[in-house]
Amino acid sequence: MSSLRSKSAQDISDLLDEYGIKHGPVVDSTRSLYERKLKEAMAKGKPSKPSSDKTYYREEEEVTYEYRTPVRSEGAGDRQSYSSYSRSKPEYRGQNSVDEPYMYDTPSTYRNSFMNSTPMKSPDAPKTPKSSRLIPLWVQFAFFLAVAVFLYLVFSSMETNESLKGIE
Amino acid sequence: MSSTSQKHKDFVAEPMGEKPVTALAGIGEVLGQRLEGKGFDKAYVVLGQFLVLKKDEELFRDWLKDTCKANVKQQGDCFGCLKEWCDAFL
Repeated sequence: MSSLRSKSAQDISDLLDEYGIKHGPVVDSTRSLYERKLKEAMAKGKPSKPSSDKTYYREEEEVTYEYRTPVRSEGAGDRQSYSSYSRSKPEYRGQNSVDEPYMYDTPSTYRNSFMNSTPMKSPDAPKTPKSSRLIPLWVQFAFFLAVAVFLYLVFSSMETNESLKGIE
Repeated sequence: MSSTSQKHKDFVAEPMGEKPVTALAGIGEVLGQRLEGKGFDKAYVVLGQFLVLKKDEELFRDWLKDTCKANVKQQGDCFGCLKEWCDAFL
């Protein structure tokens, strides 16, 4: 985004409307306030610029092109994937935090992204095989098993000691 | 509204005329100087800003914080003062 300073008052006013920021006239004394507000709104990375509160599905096709140009070349079905991207974007955040304890979700997202031939969650495009996990699933399983075996060994070795009887 | 200061009561009791900006509730010496430094030397100039911001509380508070670094209480006092003045005289 080019510098806000160079924009006309009308442009600033339009931008404020796009971001859904309530505002008055853009005059000299209010301009810096509105510029700051716009900067904050942009920094928050609000995805919808042309249409603020409308549904994301169709209108953002064009924005898709700008936003996901580097990713777009990876897959053909960008329209479909973008609509599911934007729809799942809020879900993604929820899923991301939920994914950690519930691992069953992962295979479905993995399969979906594989079927679309464009990852639903574009930031994870390079990590598709691992489907948005920092630690691969098999590593988690292996670690869990290792911890379980370790605990079992510890417990079984404790059983031969007198101390367990003492606890009883 | 919770209890208002004497300054607030004095301000909203009459048209502001040429009162200085420090006559506003919440605006003391320090804030007054900062505002004057930015060109807001009279209460009516701040009133002008308040009106241009469409009497919106959040916008006015933000503006006040940006312009003279008013804290939350000062912002609230000033906003309340101007709002009540407008209700009575505007």
